[in-house]
Amino acid sequence: MPTPAEITIEDVESSSPEVVVKIVKFSGQLDESNVDDKAKLIYDLIEQNPKNLNMIFDFEELEYMNSKSIGYLTDWYGKVYENGGKIVIAKTRPNILDILQVVGLTQLIKTYPTIDEAKFAITH
Amino acid sequence: MNDIATSIKDNSDKPVKITITLPTTAYFMSGIRDFTLSLIRNTTDFSEQWAYRFQSVVDELCNNAIEHGSRPGEEIKIVFINNPSDSIEFLVEDSGTGEKSMKAAEIAAIVEKSSNNDVPLTELRGRGLSKIVKEWSDELEFKDKPDGGIIVRVKKSLKDAKAKELKQELSLAGDQTHIVV
Repeated sequence: MPTPAEITIEDVESSSPEVVVKIVKFSGQLDESNVDDKAKLIYDLIEQNPKNLNMIFDFEELEYMNSKSIGYLTDWYGKVYENGGKIVIAKTRPNILDILQVVGLTQLIKTYPTIDEAKFAITH
Repeated sequence: MNDIATSIKDNSDKPVKITITLPTTAYFMSGIRDFTLSLIRNTTDFSEQWAYRFQSVVDELCNNAIEHGSRPGEEIKIVFINNPSDSIEFLVEDSGTGEKSMKAAEIAAIVEKSSNNDVPLTELRGRGLSKIVKEWSDELEFKDKPDGGIIVRVKKSLKDAKAKELKQELSLAGDQTHIVV
């Protein structure tokens, strides 16, 4: 059986109808057994919102991520960024932040301690 | 696990070796990660931060062996060697039958090249061995097995891990002082 992991998506009220803001909550462990399948949800979301998609990745319940899931994160970032959107990360556990830092991802995607700070950053 | 762990920790300074053999499927990896975390927490003097780091190191080594080294239906072998008060070692062996199987020298060259020329930030793959494993170990060695396949050996010394933590703490303390001033 694949390792349990969930991704849920919430809409956030936006100041402009052209700007889409979503909170994407990750829980469980993203590893080799499930990440390809779970990544499809985010690719679908990007496809449904081709322009100005802004996503806050809530990592509060994310317990583990492997190098392949970090690869997906950078790919999503590239696709969103080139179409006028943003991705930021919020509420990361220390072990996840440590992994993001060692691969240099925190140079590319900003991390915030709270959802409110992430919302402020993404909408301003 | 805790009873065994306590007796391992209390008993001696002799190295403790644990070997696990796994079928080539990623479905068992969450159990291996849990085991690694418990082993480090309960039987070594490495910190919580390093326990999580070794969890990632072992996961990446095994994923590499499953993806590249052994074909489906075969096995990989994981060896944990705890040298009390000194270091921890992880060895992961594959059978060399995987479709994308490589010789030790080839994989060592790829890792060396990737770690010297930073992986582009938006690149999908290439961070497992060259960033996570290499950055969080003191020794990373690839060896061909006589009967096919490779053994990857990783070693981390406790002294170096503690020194790095101290450096990190001092750096954080330095930052705080800077903010206060």
